[in-house]
Amino acid sequence: MKSIRIFLLIALLSTITLVNFIAALHGYRASMQEAERLFDRQIAATALLLAAIPIDQTAPQVIEENDLQAFQVWSADGQLLMRSDNAPATPIGDAQEGFSEQNFSGFRWRVYSRPSANGRSIRVAERVDLRFRLADEVVLQSVMPILIGLPVAGLLIWLVIGHGLASLKKLADELRHKRAEDLAPLTLAAPPEELLPLVRSTNALLERLQASFDRERRFSADAAHELRTPIAAIQVHADNLARQLQNSAVATPGSLQQLQDSIARMAHLVEQMLNLFRMTPEHYPARFESIDLHRLARDVIAELYPAFARREQEIELLGNTAYIDGDQFALVLLLQNLLNNACKYTPQGGRIAVDVQRQGDAVVLQVQDSGPGIPQEERERVFERFYRVGGDRHESRVPGCGLGLSIVHHIAELHHAQVVLGPSSLGDAQAPGLAVAVHFPVPKSVERGIKYEKVADENLVS
Amino acid sequence: MRILLIEDDHSLAEGITTALRHAGYAVDHTPSGSKGVSLAVAAQPDLVVLDLGLPDMDGLAVLRSLRGQQIKTPVLILTARDDLPSKVQGLDAGADDYLTKPFAVDELLARLRALERRGASGGSAEVVIGDVVINLATHSVSHGGNPVRLSRREFSLLRALAERPGHILSREQLEDKLYSWGESVASNTVDVHIHNLRKKISSDFIHTIRGVGYKLGPSR
Repeated sequence: MKSIRIFLLIALLSTITLVNFIAALHGYRASMQEAERLFDRQIAATALLLAAIPIDQTAPQVIEENDLQAFQVWSADGQLLMRSDNAPATPIGDAQEGFSEQNFSGFRWRVYSRPSANGRSIRVAERVDLRFRLADEVVLQSVMPILIGLPVAGLLIWLVIGHGLASLKKLADELRHKRAEDLAPLTLAAPPEELLPLVRSTNALLERLQASFDRERRFSADAAHELRTPIAAIQVHADNLARQLQNSAVATPGSLQQLQDSIARMAHLVEQMLNLFRMTPEHYPARFESIDLHRLARDVIAELYPAFARREQEIELLGNTAYIDGDQFALVLLLQNLLNNACKYTPQGGRIAVDVQRQGDAVVLQVQDSGPGIPQEERERVFERFYRVGGDRHESRVPGCGLGLSIVHHIAELHHAQVVLGPSSLGDAQAPGLAVAVHFPVPKSVERGIKYEKVADENLVS
Repeated sequence: MRILLIEDDHSLAEGITTALRHAGYAVDHTPSGSKGVSLAVAAQPDLVVLDLGLPDMDGLAVLRSLRGQQIKTPVLILTARDDLPSKVQGLDAGADDYLTKPFAVDELLARLRALERRGASGGSAEVVIGDVVINLATHSVSHGGNPVRLSRREFSLLRALAERPGHILSREQLEDKLYSWGESVASNTVDVHIHNLRKKISSDFIHTIRGVGYKLGPSR
């Protein structure tokens, strides 16, 4: 069934037509019976009239008649005394009194025979097709109003059904325009009784989803708190221990450095696992807003700059203002992961370039470095959780847990963006470098040019 | 210098207390939010280190209560919550800084020193970067002992950069600083002033990070 409206229209119109035709048929039959009785009575009356006429002559008298009725008057000894001009000279009908049907003069006739008091036989006939002609008229007159009324009824039914289905359409519109992350209940005002269960169960479903999202969020917040606090305590105590040993005459044992490194690694791993958990699309109800990715990249670079400065790396940001629809927290995390990777894997004094540009129907964020890069055959696998290029003991001896690009991948998924790995333009033969490009879809509002106007306005102000 | 530490995790509190005492601070510690509020009022600490997840009273409520009682003591929030809304809420409630767990002791101490400076920057606050001395009170600047004459706008820019040494400020952020001094700014004003500052002080005194912004000190 494609459309309730069309289905109802066809069903109702068919029903109306059927009922009307049955009624018309019934009326036709009833009126035909009535007409038959009337016509028969009329023939009988004519016969009675003819019986009363005195006839003396021996030669048969021929009377001019209209075409529709004919009659004969026979004497008791079988002589034709009188006939209408359209009646034959031979007897029509039976000798007994009553009605019969016969053919003569090229037509079918209804014949009434009647003996009169003086022994004569009166026969009156009427053409049968006269009755049919009347029947045709009766049928036509009862069918005509239906034929004319049907389109009008159809139009009215169409409008009435449309009106009746308006709230269904409203509900469909509301559902269609609901954003994926919007779990607020449906707000259909005074839904009709038939839609109430649908609205109620949809709202119940949305409520359950919201509750499960809330639970996930609370869990990850609680997990973060429960894990970070003891790690913070261990780290503070280790730092205190290191300082006390430094101040004492005892040489700092290598195991203390190992301890501090392990704590840093564990802290990093816990952070990344929490981030990975939080950024999985089914766990994370993203709050999308219009965000200037270039500006966000600038802020994150500024925040992380001390790390690049420590490794004497040169970092630059290219490109210009580019708005996307995104979740700020998630995008900051994506940028942090890409930049931290670039910082970690690019050697001391290396170069890193970040670029944000609109390219066709995408906004592309690209982070390039002059590090060792990722060999072609490993580029697919680096998105797997805990996978590290070159195995656990990385030749660069860079601590890490192998979750960064998985997190990037999840966040990209959340934004319907694609992550592409390739060689960097900053690389050389020895270190090809890595270019990570994230292609974000251009938001619809930007495609229509709204953001460009806004940007132009800002430029005017500054 | 007296610090009030409001933290309910016993082991962490003990570690922080040890570290702070060693750094020369006097430390009062309480695991309870409501006790923290009364201590902050009664003991008049110079700084407050506040955990957000307290058992009896939310850290933000502690902060609001303090600010509601006109206690202006600088507050550093120490928390396991790192999501953006929590940070914004914390700063909106009147926190002066925000440090997420886990953290290095050195970072905690550096942030506390910064808060101390900000709290104490009354009359003669001086910022020293290499051989450049910036006096925020008298608006005077010297380079290697020789006074440098700056225009009011140039000083405003320098001051903005000097307030957070090592941090990058974008051109927009610097423009905002100039706006807040009530000047109208042409689009290339910041570049012109940076150029002048480099000429008057030294060419590597202000470093440009291409596409990102400016920071004080040489590039590395």
